[in-house]
Amino acid sequence: MPAPAATDLGEVSDVDLVKRSQAGDMRAFDTLVTKYRGRIYAMTYHLIQNETEAWDLAQEAFIKAWRALPNFKQDAAFYTWLYRIAHNVTYDWLRKKKIQGDGEFDDERTEHRVAAGAEATPKGDAAPDMALRNAELGQRIQDAIARLSPDHRQVIILREVEGLAYEEIASLVPCSLGTVMSRLFYARKKLQEILQDVYETTL
Amino acid sequence: MKPPSENHDLIRWLDGEMTAAERAAFDAELKADPALAREAEEMRSLSASLRTHLPAEMKVPHADFFNSQIQMRIAQMDMADARPKPASFLDSLIALFRQPWLATASVAAVAVAGFFLLVPAGGDSAHSLILSSYAPGRGVETSTYHDAAADATVLMLEGLEEVPADRKISGISVHRSETEPEVAATTLFDAAGSPLLVISRDAAGQPLFLRNNPRG
Repeated sequence: MPAPAATDLGEVSDVDLVKRSQAGDMRAFDTLVTKYRGRIYAMTYHLIQNETEAWDLAQEAFIKAWRALPNFKQDAAFYTWLYRIAHNVTYDWLRKKKIQGDGEFDDERTEHRVAAGAEATPKGDAAPDMALRNAELGQRIQDAIARLSPDHRQVIILREVEGLAYEEIASLVPCSLGTVMSRLFYARKKLQEILQDVYETTL
Repeated sequence: MKPPSENHDLIRWLDGEMTAAERAAFDAELKADPALAREAEEMRSLSASLRTHLPAEMKVPHADFFNSQIQMRIAQMDMADARPKPASFLDSLIALFRQPWLATASVAAVAVAGFFLLVPAGGDSAHSLILSSYAPGRGVETSTYHDAAADATVLMLEGLEEVPADRKISGISVHRSETEPEVAATTLFDAAGSPLLVISRDAAGQPLFLRNNPRG
């Protein structure tokens, strides 16, 4: 059975895609999912360091976004709004894990296994030895990030990966500007401590 | 160990959160304090590494399934919102398929749905054709065959995790199916002729499951 004739939504603006989605057009919403799934998944993955859970949480964020779309007035960019939903979904999950007291996010933890299937978007060709060193360093950094507390990991991801300004971080978390700076300072000191041997050889 | 004293100026300098005047003053401070300059350089190097090795975008594993499952779950929720009713066998089955140890099976169900959309009206299973199957688990292999005695297409999943002993598994007994080309939908019926499930495609060509309520 032939699929219904379809127009290419790839070039349609987010504003129009959101309007169509709000009118119940699942295909328009599917285009938004395809456009932003990589960024939302990266955020959830960096925060919780588990491929399966990150996949589920990213899905949860899109489903919550669909349910909340009727109330979205487009007074902010769709991605900003979606990101906030995904962040809240992920942080609620982290809070529940913390309450359950399984110790998985303990700062003092010394071992962590990053999902073997985790895969970053390739960024061009590098010589094999350089690529290997980069991969090893990337793994070390992922391990180090995983050893931070959720609060410290959160501000580092928001600042270094998402590039948010202090005020945006304070609004999203939420916390004071002083707390943002304090957490960033201690998160970086902790990472320096964990990665000390790396920087002793490279600096 | 004594914790390091906080230096918010250093953090704000690093993150570009200073005014021009503040930055000029801090640059002067760096020139006058080699220890502070070294600390600043180490933090700057760390930030560069983090930005390089923590990508803002990652490939989503099984991206197509990611999208189609979102659509399926939304359709399920919409149906539940539109027609609230007590839990039925089908609800239990859907819940069962969403168990982690049956994630692969739910994927296979989606794959089989693709098959049902393509069979001719009348549902002659002797001529059934599975066009493709898909399993997200790396160790799971899918295959299908037609069982003439049971007059059914059987989906095999090799390599699934062991099913917990307290789970009682049973399948849906689909007696026949009817395809309506005009609305691109296939309805599955039980032995009593009651509709079990309507399978269609959304505008993006993704499988869409719509439960039919036999009790009205």
